[in-house]
Amino acid sequence: MTQSDIVLKADKIHKTFGQVEVLKGISLQARNHDVISILGSSGSGKSTFLRCLNFLETPTSGTVTLHGEEVVVRNGKPANPRQIEQLRKRLGMVFQQFNLWSHRTVIENVMEGPVIVKRETKADARDKAEALLQRVGLTERMNAYPSQLSGGQQQRVAIARALAMEPDVILFDEPTSALDPELVDEVLKVMQSLAGEGRTMILVTHEMGFAREVSSEVVFLHEGRVAEQGPPQEMFAHPKTEVFERFIAKVK
Amino acid sequence: MLELFALGDTGWGDEILRGLLVTAELAVATLPVGILLGFLAAYFSLSRVAPLRALGFGYTTIMRGMPEILTLFVVYNGVGMLLNALIQWWNPEAGAVDFSPFAAGVIALGMVFGAFAGEVLRGAFNAIDPGQIEAGRAIGMSNSQVFWRISLPQVWRFALPGLGNLWINLLKDTALVSVIALDDLMRMTKVAVGVTKQPFTFYLLACLIYWALSVLSELVLAAMERRANRGVRRAA
Amino acid sequence: MNPIDIITAYWPRLIDGTLMTIRLTLMGAFIAALVSPWLALVRVNAPIAVQAPIRIYVSFMRGTPLLAQLFLIFYGSGQFRPVLEAWGLWTFFRDPFSCALLAFALNSTAYQTEILRGGILGVPQGEIESAKAIGMNPLQILRRVVAPHAYRIAWPALGNEVILLMKASALASIVTVFDLMGRTRQVFSRTFDFSVYLWAALIYLCLTATFVFLWRLFERWMNHELGLAKTPSAAPQAWETRP
Repeated sequence: MTQSDIVLKADKIHKTFGQVEVLKGISLQARNHDVISILGSSGSGKSTFLRCLNFLETPTSGTVTLHGEEVVVRNGKPANPRQIEQLRKRLGMVFQQFNLWSHRTVIENVMEGPVIVKRETKADARDKAEALLQRVGLTERMNAYPSQLSGGQQQRVAIARALAMEPDVILFDEPTSALDPELVDEVLKVMQSLAGEGRTMILVTHEMGFAREVSSEVVFLHEGRVAEQGPPQEMFAHPKTEVFERFIAKVK
Repeated sequence: MLELFALGDTGWGDEILRGLLVTAELAVATLPVGILLGFLAAYFSLSRVAPLRALGFGYTTIMRGMPEILTLFVVYNGVGMLLNALIQWWNPEAGAVDFSPFAAGVIALGMVFGAFAGEVLRGAFNAIDPGQIEAGRAIGMSNSQVFWRISLPQVWRFALPGLGNLWINLLKDTALVSVIALDDLMRMTKVAVGVTKQPFTFYLLACLIYWALSVLSELVLAAMERRANRGVRRAA
Repeated sequence: MNPIDIITAYWPRLIDGTLMTIRLTLMGAFIAALVSPWLALVRVNAPIAVQAPIRIYVSFMRGTPLLAQLFLIFYGSGQFRPVLEAWGLWTFFRDPFSCALLAFALNSTAYQTEILRGGILGVPQGEIESAKAIGMNPLQILRRVVAPHAYRIAWPALGNEVILLMKASALASIVTVFDLMGRTRQVFSRTFDFSVYLWAALIYLCLTATFVFLWRLFERWMNHELGLAKTPSAAPQAWETRP
């Protein structure tokens, strides 16, 4: 592995809310084609960490590097807003609650980023959006509004919206946690196919099956620290720490 | 500057205070009239009898669609004429009487308050959990028992914020009666302006007094709301 | 005279007054609509110290009678006549129409600011987050996400505010503007026929009803455009009292 393979690097991310230190210096490296699953019980700080990667949450200190471009945070003050916007353009994000823009149709949601942020022409953006919606199986619902879709469909639109920005890395923040059980699979399938085509993905999830089968690396957070990390097969077969052992026993 | 506002013969303080007293009297006298009309309007609007419902709807709709100042003129001139016509009919020898501007103010502002309060109260009655009314029926309460024992005590809680707003509007609307020559705060201010030729100073003073009344009312209402919501989980 | 004679004799005046009422209302509401969004944004986002003047302004405008505000501007300006003349502003403050318009615009700005503040606070946070996550800058987020939502939420209350402003505009008659109320009083002072007030009431009701109809029509069209079949049930109905 050479240094240039590293797409996204987070270094010593700290986050304090008031008196509570939620993240106690977490580092992580994502190489090209990596699929990293971040696990942890609630309160372990896993969502906060993911949100620090694209600065939806401003870390108290730490560094995020995307393709060698550093965004450094000291004392809770990030570099300049422009730099963060540049970073976000290249980091896709899929939210637990989908967060589709409810006042725009499905295809408009997908076109919004390319047209408004990347200044692509509407025609180009539309072609791309149509292709992406076909990809996630929603060609028929192109002109529907988010409120007319099921949760699973909304999340697939949200994935298409993230893909439309042609991001270097896609962040998934518990993408299936808000879904009815019978709708989880359709979203996981789309994510699996993304992993299959070599997308770099970082996800916070409760889907152990997905973490084990699809991801290339698992990071287990406990009380704001990385308690254990490694290839999933090995980690699940031979947990090294007691906390992770207890964690997998509980979720089984 | 300050001697302008002094009490007694040298300043306008006492005149303005007297005006303030009239304003307060008018607002306080109007409130019960308005609330009573509001309950009547709500009762009519929620009635199962269609003509009553139409009456309630007509009253609240018309009063809320008319400028308050127009209502005041309609009442002042209209009721005054009607009163005189009645007196003439009763006793042709009697001379014309002047309809008191204070009474006109109470009636007109009360009618306006009542129309808006009717809507507030209608909403409040509708907001009462139907399960509680069913529970009352289930233990054998009559309709009137349900009303007095269950609906009415709870309606205050829902209606208080709306009625509070109406009270502040009422305070402000009292300024309109200065136009029909009632010596309220606004009119006494005008008198002071006429003599001192300091319109900005005195109208600003009047504004500040009204403002103080409104802010004071808001504080009291907030305290009342907290009291009314004791024991009720806040809808976060 | 009977009511029919009054209207046949004086309808041109009443129509003239009605047009003046519409003009005052729409111009006042429009000026306020240009200013209030910026105040609302400051009110939601700025540090307390910057918010404070807006809070005081809104509280003052909502806590004092519009009639007193109108007098403060129209008569009060007389106290500063030399200064205003020096600045060339006296022609403005001498004119009852412009003073009434200024008072209504200032008053409605305060109410519209509060309404829009509520609208902005009601914008779904998640949709703002997803706009940030995609790399939008604050201005883009404002234009593409915050404004559409805030206006949709605030729309019914804004319509209500315009109706209240129309009713309040009758106060202009007291500083001798010949709006509908002014014309009505003029006719009454000539004829002492009470029925002219009833005609005026009817016209005001027609204006209100027409406005409510048009506003709702636009709201329905807008919601249809946005694919929202139903308006949110929490939305206030027109004709409510001012908050």
